[in-house]
Amino acid sequence: MSELLAVGRYEFRMQVRKRSLWLAMLLLAAVIALTQGDRGPRYTEAGAPAREVMAGWALLFGIVVPIGFGMVLADRLVRDRRLGTTALLESLPVGPRVLLAGKYLGGLASSALPGLLAMLVAGGYETVHRGDPLMLAWAVLAFGLIMLPGLAFVAGFALVSPLVISAPLFRVLFVGYWFWGNMLPPEFLPSLSGTLLSPIGDYPVSWLIGETALYAGVPGWLSFLRPAPSGVSVLVSVVLLVLVGLLPLVVAGTVFSRQRRTA
Amino acid sequence: MDIQTTGLSRRFGKVTALHSVDLSVPGGMYGLLGANGAGKTTLMRILAGVLPPGGGEVRVGGHDLTTGAGRTAVQRRLGYLPQDLGLYPDLTPREFLDYVGLLKGLDDTRARRQQVDELLELVALSEVAGRRMKGFSGGMRRRVGIAQALLGDPALIVVDEPTAGLDPEERVRFRSLLAGLAGHRTVLLSTHIVEDVAQTCQHAAVMAGGRVVYTGTVPDLVRMGEGATWEVVTTTGAPPPVGVVVSAISRTDGTHYRVISSTAPGAHAVPAAPSLEDGYVALMQRAPAQ
Ligand SMILES: Nc1ncnc2c1ncn2[C@@H]1O[C@H](COP(=O)(O)OP(=O)(O)OP(=O)(O)O)[C@@H](O)[C@H]1O
Ligand SMILES: [Mg+2]
Repeated sequence: MSELLAVGRYEFRMQVRKRSLWLAMLLLAAVIALTQGDRGPRYTEAGAPAREVMAGWALLFGIVVPIGFGMVLADRLVRDRRLGTTALLESLPVGPRVLLAGKYLGGLASSALPGLLAMLVAGGYETVHRGDPLMLAWAVLAFGLIMLPGLAFVAGFALVSPLVISAPLFRVLFVGYWFWGNMLPPEFLPSLSGTLLSPIGDYPVSWLIGETALYAGVPGWLSFLRPAPSGVSVLVSVVLLVLVGLLPLVVAGTVFSRQRRTA
Repeated sequence: MDIQTTGLSRRFGKVTALHSVDLSVPGGMYGLLGANGAGKTTLMRILAGVLPPGGGEVRVGGHDLTTGAGRTAVQRRLGYLPQDLGLYPDLTPREFLDYVGLLKGLDDTRARRQQVDELLELVALSEVAGRRMKGFSGGMRRRVGIAQALLGDPALIVVDEPTAGLDPEERVRFRSLLAGLAGHRTVLLSTHIVEDVAQTCQHAAVMAGGRVVYTGTVPDLVRMGEGATWEVVTTTGAPPPVGVVVSAISRTDGTHYRVISSTAPGAHAVPAAPSLEDGYVALMQRAPAQ
């Protein structure tokens, strides 16, 4: 347990110090915030509840911020090989699963920080703009319910996939995936957008604003993953996203343990 | 912790890096010599539990390294300096050592911090202890690596070319440090610098082509050069036609060659007392790598 915390803590510390982390994500957040059209959250009608306004912001940031998140996490595991720290880490009495879990937790926590900061800035702006102090509270809630599960989902894949397909290729594929799996209309092509596995948070946003945000619940491919948005389907979506995001880590942990045992 | 290997082997695809290695390291300071690609790093990686052996037996302090439990038991008491250790550029040496210490199970925060500071002092890095390691020179990085290997008072220290990249003063300082530690520990040291072994080790093994071609005391290895070490002075500048030249110095009376050869390399060759390097070269000539 103390080893897990140590890996998580130092992974967090190293990642938080990277300027590229903050630059990439805050730049994306700023661009999308400043270029939002009149359907953007800034223009939600006056008097709208804080819940709706901040859910709108989380969805807006969700269009691009997770892309930056996936980019910066993509080299966290391959970098140990590049830097040459792997042999030392493997010589320490800590199993590969603990190392992976620690890197996942530390990487997720540190890389999610700019997303939280973007939400807090938006919440602060809305608090002043609309004179509603609940905005700030909902900024945090919306971050936790809408953005964080999607980021956890992305984190598992962003850490592990580059070990197999290299970080640059992962980054390219990931951008394509993000638009296909979140924003492509499901009637247009078979797609994961609008399903419980859409990491942009289609379900929680739809539930919070009381209408379909993007395509949640819209009929399409894999219909069993497209229930009507409700409290229950939001919960299922959040749990599914986190669990599916852990799958690549479980696979990698099993492979690494086996590699340590047999030549 | 003593090291025992029997029939230890390891292949990488078609390359056999270790051929049935039988080695017994009792304790104290033990040198491991050998040419590039001889298999030293492969052996050390197996001993550190980083690489699974391909076949044969490995026991360290009685623990079987082919089992998970044995590996963990050894790793708890191990200090390992890999040949090409990388560091995290965004951490300071103090943080890096703290991290490694935590993973070694040094859970008492105060004791760990104190040990980290002592080790930084020992490798003369106290002044930069709070600076990020990005941009550290090769020798500074090496010293961070050495310090982390000593964390947690390990019973077995495996250091793969620890003195490569250190300036002469630092090298001398570090090898006496290691020799001082070897008292009640086992220190396995691989190096290309024969002098490091000559100055610190009682015992040594020589590897060539994945096999151990010599194990024994360092004085016995020196004796391998007896009757095969010669000095030849030539005025033409051309090296003697037979033997391996280990040194050549130009002086006013001509070029002084030191030559390893089983027969006298010329009529004017004078037998010389061998050094460890001469013994090593003589051994390698007799048992060439396959
Ligand atoms: N991971 C690997 N994959 C493929 N071949 C390897 C690997 N590691 C070592 N080898 C091969 O095994 C042989 C022994 O290598 P090793 O690194 O153990 O030698 P060494 O004695 O440490 O050499 P050096 O003095 O250059 O460090 C070499 O032929 C090398 O190419
Ligand atoms: Mg080597």
